[in-house]
Amino acid sequence: MALLEIKGLSTHFSLPRGILKAVERVDLTVERGETLALVGESGSGKSITAASIMRLVPPPGRIVSGSILFEGVDLLQLSEDKMREIRGNRIAMIFQDPMTSLNPVFTIGEQVAEGLRIHRGLNRAQAEEAAAEILAQVGIPAPRERLKDYPHQMSGGQRQRVMIAMALALRPELVIADEPTTALDVTIQAQILELLDRLKEETRMGLILITHNLGIVAERAHRTAIMYAGSIMESAPTEELFANPLHPYTKGLLASLPENAKPGQELATISGNVPVLYGGTAGCPFRDRCPIGDAGCAATYPEMHDAGGGHLVRCLKAHD
Amino acid sequence: MTDLLRAEGVEKQFAARGGGMFAPHQRLMAVAGVDLELNPGETLGIAGESGCGKSTVARLLTGLIPLSGGRVTYQGRDLAALSRAEMALFRREVQMIFQDPFSSLNPRMRVSEILAEPMVIHGIGTEAQRRDRVDFLMNRVGLLPEQLSRFPHEFSGGQRQRIGIARALAVSPKLIIADEPVSALDLSIQAQIINLLQEVKRELGLGFLFITHDLSVLRHVSDRIAIMYLGRIVESGSAEEVLEHPRHPYTEALLAAIPSVDPKKRRKHAAPKGEIPSPLAPPSGCPFHPRCPYAEERCRVERPDLVEKDRPGHRAACHFSEKLPR
Repeated sequence: MALLEIKGLSTHFSLPRGILKAVERVDLTVERGETLALVGESGSGKSITAASIMRLVPPPGRIVSGSILFEGVDLLQLSEDKMREIRGNRIAMIFQDPMTSLNPVFTIGEQVAEGLRIHRGLNRAQAEEAAAEILAQVGIPAPRERLKDYPHQMSGGQRQRVMIAMALALRPELVIADEPTTALDVTIQAQILELLDRLKEETRMGLILITHNLGIVAERAHRTAIMYAGSIMESAPTEELFANPLHPYTKGLLASLPENAKPGQELATISGNVPVLYGGTAGCPFRDRCPIGDAGCAATYPEMHDAGGGHLVRCLKAHD
Repeated sequence: MTDLLRAEGVEKQFAARGGGMFAPHQRLMAVAGVDLELNPGETLGIAGESGCGKSTVARLLTGLIPLSGGRVTYQGRDLAALSRAEMALFRREVQMIFQDPFSSLNPRMRVSEILAEPMVIHGIGTEAQRRDRVDFLMNRVGLLPEQLSRFPHEFSGGQRQRIGIARALAVSPKLIIADEPVSALDLSIQAQIINLLQEVKRELGLGFLFITHDLSVLRHVSDRIAIMYLGRIVESGSAEEVLEHPRHPYTEALLAAIPSVDPKKRRKHAAPKGEIPSPLAPPSGCPFHPRCPYAEERCRVERPDLVEKDRPGHRAACHFSEKLPR
């Protein structure tokens, strides 16, 4: 049984302009010890997918269909009380900006210890002891002294380590990291990614890594799913995806990287802008920007096609 | 050929609040003696991590904030000695493009007004000529005439950056200083904007100062590169030399830390240890020595000068450049 299996997940927002399909018929699987990268541009639905797994979709958003099986149990059928036992305890999240997700008026020690007291029933002294141990594990020097610090007294990299410590304090089976290093400098980013990898090896947790950085994906993820306008357009084992992209959007993204061009040479581009799709629009979400799309693409929403070897692609033209 | 813009020993100190309300102010050396030169039609890229002083350098070079030391010359003339009229001309010929086009565009102005304003300020053309020029600019940056009457919030991030570029081009500059111009943009839009910047640079023969933390973007656009760390340039030279054969351990660490999509380029180096020190308390000697794998006793006491290494024009501030693999 997979650790996490999402089937047909749709999360829609009722807005004055119409129904915004933020997440549309998403299927994803995460195994124990596996890193799944969820890649997409702003508004592609990757963060709303994460919020849906945690059942923390902000109103007016609503999960309208699908199932989210976590160790075989459908999270969407659980009572709010049961869900609260899972959230933060067995499934944890790490956010992009630790300054806004750490509470500025509580010490680091109080915040890391909080989950241990609530979910594990430790007393204050035990929880503090455990918190110091976890901070040491994530590479905070002199952890016992830092317990008394407030978030503003730490650097951005250290705050992100604290966030990771909080997320991992309860030994969750699944961690969702939403752009965990986007706010950090590149040398600190490398340290944090290595830390996450090491902790994942040690605990065999599953990791969903949400990012727009294709370099990070290529180096860290076992499997990669590419999202566009709410839909997964392509997913495959990472090496296969980068060596043999099938979807025109994936191909366009890879071709547009300055790293893949000669210096000074014109970069390949995807024309147009990232769309916001409201309900009622039929057809492939990428059709307006697609170099190979035709009338058929405007009429039919493409089903996921299995190209073999775990390589899935949502495109009418990619498998002719 | 005289250079377009030159910085000599440029310094900037800020006063930072001390520990308590009545504690004495501390001095923060944001830029600690920077030398740069930019030739007409050339792109100089400046890279470094947050707090290294790269954006402060940009603001010093445009005269937006006063220098604490050193001097900046434009076409051979000291900025401090320019008359009012000459300064106005300098402000016209040197334009900036910012990272966040939303906060740098007036939300209450229509695009037509945003693009005409620099010409109005500099007293260029009649109203009809300015209108023609605005039409030309819209077309040049790939926006449609019917979008002229719209407000900034009606545009996507990439389109707003196109407006920012058009505004900078409105007064026919000779030099553009772009501070992280593509960092806030989505991947599929980034390439469009980089191409646009490259096109206008070639067409108009502009000098370009391109500031970014993204070395893959910098490699793509730059003729020469300067790497900054804690307020100083630690390495400079041709883009190829600096990025292919770094002579400073910090450049080497930066390059190793960039995740690459190319399996051949993936160097599983250990991430550089430690954090960027506070500019309030910079380390003694070489500012990089606490994080440097090659550091020796000398690095703790003696700050290395930026000197030419084994290729002409390739400079690095390191006592032990020869330890780096070539």
